[in-house]
Amino acid sequence: MRGFATLLWLEYRRSRIWAAALLGSLAFWFWGLNQVTMSNFGERAGIRVAIVGVAAAVGLVVLCFMIGRIRGETRRGQYQILLLTPPSGYLHILARVIFALGVGIVYYVILGGLMWWVAARAGIHPGTGSVLQLLFAGPFYGIGAIVLPFVSWTLLLMVFLSAFRLSGPSWIPGIVMVAGTPFLFRWISEGIFKLSYSLPAWSMFGGFTRLIEEAEIETEIMITTQGALVPQEPLWIMLALSVVMLVIAGRIWQEVEG
Amino acid sequence: MLAQLREVTKRYVTTEGVRDLTLDIEDGQVLGVLGLNGSGKTTALKLLAGLLFPTKGEVTVLGGPPRKNRARLVFLGETDELHAWMTPYDGERFAAGLYEDFRPERYHELLDFLEVPRRKTKAMSRGERGRLRLAMALSREVKLYLLDEPLAGIDLLSRERILTSLVREWHTDATIVLSTHEVAEAEGLFERVVFLRDGGVALDARAEALREEGRSVVETFREVLS
Repeated sequence: MRGFATLLWLEYRRSRIWAAALLGSLAFWFWGLNQVTMSNFGERAGIRVAIVGVAAAVGLVVLCFMIGRIRGETRRGQYQILLLTPPSGYLHILARVIFALGVGIVYYVILGGLMWWVAARAGIHPGTGSVLQLLFAGPFYGIGAIVLPFVSWTLLLMVFLSAFRLSGPSWIPGIVMVAGTPFLFRWISEGIFKLSYSLPAWSMFGGFTRLIEEAEIETEIMITTQGALVPQEPLWIMLALSVVMLVIAGRIWQEVEG
Repeated sequence: MLAQLREVTKRYVTTEGVRDLTLDIEDGQVLGVLGLNGSGKTTALKLLAGLLFPTKGEVTVLGGPPRKNRARLVFLGETDELHAWMTPYDGERFAAGLYEDFRPERYHELLDFLEVPRRKTKAMSRGERGRLRLAMALSREVKLYLLDEPLAGIDLLSRERILTSLVREWHTDATIVLSTHEVAEAEGLFERVVFLRDGGVALDARAEALREEGRSVVETFREVLS
C-alpha cells in the first residue's frame, strides 16, 4: 500500500480544478432552486425535483470527465511515468475512483441538503428520518447504483484505449466503446428491471411521500405511507459490476505498454 | 550481469523498433547507446525499463522481468512528462511518496547544482524542466539508470554541469545507460559504447579501446553510421 496516499494526493492536485468547479456549481443550483416561486405546490415541487435531477446528471458527467483524462496523460507522457511507479495498477485505479467518489459524495450530499433547505423554507417538514435519508441514504444509493458504475466504465474505457496508443488506430475501439455505452447501460438496466426482486425493498423518504399523498400529487414512484420503495438488488448488481470493471481496468494497467 | 536483451525484436504496426538485438549490460559501467534517428535507441531503453514488451526474445533486468523490477530502476524518457502545476516541491512530494530509494538531501543538492527555479513547470523553459526531471531521476539511489536524451533542450553550459553530475553518480556502483545525440560532449563519460543501426548493434566497443586505437567516439560514430 506504499504510495497510496501519494496517489490520492496526485489525483487531488491533478483534478482539484474540476472538483472545485463541480462543488462551485452548487451555488448555481442553489440559486436556480430559489428562483422557483410559483404558487402551485405541485408545479413548484416538480420543477425543483427536475433541477436537482439536472444537477445530479451534470455531476455525473463532470465526474466522468474528471476521471477519464488518461488519454491526454498518455500523449503527454505522464501515464508512462505512472506505469513505472511501484504501486500496482489496481492501486492507481483505486486512488482515482476513491477521489472521484469522495468529490461525488460531497456534491450529492450537499445537493440533498439544498433540497432539504428549500423544502424547509417552503414550510415542508418531513421529519428527521426523511431528512437524513435525503442527505445520506438517497445520495449513497444513487452513487452506488449510478455514479460508480459510470465512473468505473469511464476508467475502463480510457485505460483500454490507452492500450492501443502504440498500435495507432485507437479511434476504432474508441468509437465502438463510446457508441456502445448507451446500449450497454440500456441492456444492463433492462436486465435489472426484468429481475424479480426477492430481497426486501428499502423504504425511504416517508415524510415526503406522506406530504405528496396529502397533496394528492400523481407520481410514477411506487409510494406507500411508509415511503418510496427502493429495491436493493440494483444497488448490489451495479456495485458488483463496478468492481469487475475496476479489476479489469487495473489488470490492463498492469499489462499496458507505454 | 545487470541487464540483458536476448535476440529481442520489437515490432510496431508497420515498423520494427529493434531487430534481433542482443545486449549485455554489466554492473557499474556508463554505457552510451548511440545511433541516428530511428535506429532503435529509445525502443531499446523502453524495453529495458519495461515500458515496452518484446515481440520476440527476452529482456531481463536485475534478475527478472523489467516491469516486475520497475521500482528498482530509473527511466528518464525523452517526453517532457511533468504536470504543468508541478513545482520542484511537488516533485519531491511525488518521488518521496512513491520511491523508497529517493534521497531528499540529494534532491535539494541537485536542484541547487542544476539551478532549477522554484516555480511551476508551466513557468519554466524546456531546459529548466529537463533539469528538474534530471534532478528527480538522479535523486533516486538505484543500480540502473536509463537516460534517454536527458540533455535535450538544455543549454551548453548546463549540459556540462549535468555531465559532471553524471560522472559523480558514476563513482557509485550504479550503471548508467545513456542515449544521447550530444556524443562529443558525453565522450569522456562513456566507458562502453554501442552503436545501433536499423534496430541492431552495428558496433559494441569499449571507449578506452577506441582511444587506444587513436579514435574518438565521435569519429567512430561517423565511421560506423555514415
